[in-house]
Amino acid sequence: MNVHAFLHNFWENTISGLAQGAIYALFALGYTLVYGVLRLINFAHSEVFMLGTFGAIITWQALGLDQDSPTPSFGPVVLYLIVGLAGAMVFSAVTATIVERVAYRPLRKRNAPVLAFLISAIGASVVLSELVGVLSRRKPRGVPRLVQPEAVFTIGGAEVTNLTIGILVVAFGLMFALDRFINRSRLGRGVRAVAQDPNTAALMGVNKDRVIMLIFILGGLMAGAAALLYDLKIGGTDFFAGFDLGIKAFAAAVLGGIGNLRGALVGGLILGILEPYTSSLFGTQWTAVTAFVVLIIILLFRPNGILGESLGRARA
Amino acid sequence: MLLEISDVSLLYGRIQALHGISLGVDEGEIVALIGANGAGKSTTMRAISGIRPVASGRIRFNGDDITKLRADLRVVRGLCQAPEGRGIFPGMTVLENLEMGAYTRRDRAGIAADLERVFGLFPRLAERRKQVGGTLSGGEQQMLTIGRALMSQPKLLLLDEPSMGLAPMLIQQIFSIISEINSQGTTILLVEQNAQQALARADRGYVLETGRIVKSGTGTELLHDPAVKEAYLGVA
Ligand SMILES: Nc1ncnc2c1ncn2[C@@H]1O[C@H](COP(=O)(O)OP(=O)(O)O)[C@@H](O)[C@H]1O
Ligand SMILES: [Mg+2]
Repeated sequence: MNVHAFLHNFWENTISGLAQGAIYALFALGYTLVYGVLRLINFAHSEVFMLGTFGAIITWQALGLDQDSPTPSFGPVVLYLIVGLAGAMVFSAVTATIVERVAYRPLRKRNAPVLAFLISAIGASVVLSELVGVLSRRKPRGVPRLVQPEAVFTIGGAEVTNLTIGILVVAFGLMFALDRFINRSRLGRGVRAVAQDPNTAALMGVNKDRVIMLIFILGGLMAGAAALLYDLKIGGTDFFAGFDLGIKAFAAAVLGGIGNLRGALVGGLILGILEPYTSSLFGTQWTAVTAFVVLIIILLFRPNGILGESLGRARA
Repeated sequence: MLLEISDVSLLYGRIQALHGISLGVDEGEIVALIGANGAGKSTTMRAISGIRPVASGRIRFNGDDITKLRADLRVVRGLCQAPEGRGIFPGMTVLENLEMGAYTRRDRAGIAADLERVFGLFPRLAERRKQVGGTLSGGEQQMLTIGRALMSQPKLLLLDEPSMGLAPMLIQQIFSIISEINSQGTTILLVEQNAQQALARADRGYVLETGRIVKSGTGTELLHDPAVKEAYLGVA
């Protein structure tokens, strides 16, 4: 155990962990929204994210930007980032909608058992990742160099870059907006009503299919934003990008309390910070193991996650 | 006739819960549907509000055939049910529950006026508007389901055992509020095990036994019917 390395890199690890955690949290929201309303684990959500990572790149390509383009000046960069974000979010939301229409709705109309949904989810995930695998010839794709990381200020000797600040601002901004939407708007109330009691929600005039479509779109939009931030942070993507990150985002959702929006944030940040900490303490090879040991220990004491379960009951 | 059910049957899997029942509700009436536990009263309500599909028969509302209409669209037509038991949204505040009742409406001014009307009928709810529904007492939850249903401005209000599990004083209060709602112009179909109270307030009533209507008449007729007295009014 290397306590010296841990203390020495503490602030640097905290900052990079928060940025990574914010991406997990955005990604985790899709799992949590769908679970909260349908009690269904949407395994295809990892591919919803993965298609978002390609969505941004395809959007930029359409604008004539590729990984070899020189970095544009500030004004155009902001514009490119906004358009890329929109592209990624639209790609992911459309993918999520298609998954719901093709993989889940037909089963729901036939009152299929839970296991059928699970298999369908895994099937959708494999199909999407293989499809992108074939189309991308299984090669990684680079992201245009839009943001050159530069230190804006330092905390405890650690640099906080423009990219980190951007990631945190976008992630927290979107999560705040989603939280407001679910808790304050009429449609958001409809979502919570279906999560708490679908039959009574129908008695109040809520169209369940429309609510389900809405949560898939919202989860897709959030995953798309996470995908863009991932593109910028990593500098590239491939058809397998959703797999590893998907497991972690799902773990984050469970850790915070699946079905609970704020739980996704808490779980994502904890997992994000834990990784660089344990990597400093025990070495990189132990990161995943430690993260899951911590997850299991927390779940032993709080089986429903840190903030507890349902979208409705925990008042989101 | 505002609501007309003809020859409706309903199945839960292989169990047949309704065997061709027919009943009607006229505009302005209170109609009581009484019967023992398990007779199929709630099932009838579910068929009317569209929560369960019917196996055969027809349901007409306000002149239209709504047999196959989705539940949420029936609310738009003016049918709203206050479900049995504690059918509120436990994680929402009293105010949010009431706003859920107005889910299909967009007329802000009208909604605000109806909110005041509900708070007038149930002052308890006004005091507790910020409280989370799941923490209300049983009686308050019953009031909330009724108030919430009123928020949709129903032409026909379906009440499923509004007095269930309440103390005698509260039962009196709930029944007089039901009469008041009716006198303000809302037609009511009232399901009750408390047959005495329900029939006393109703214009007409139906008696349901194991999924069949076995008797109907005016409230007074049924109250004085020897068989009804023996079976449902606790008179030997
Ligand atoms: N969801 C269900 N699945 C299967 N059987 C049911 C279900 N709901 C009610 N039943 C059965 O249908 C019959 C009528 O029930 P219900 O309409 O709830 O009666 P009531 O409201 O008059 O007490 C009962 O025999 C009950 O066991
Ligand atoms: Mg009942």
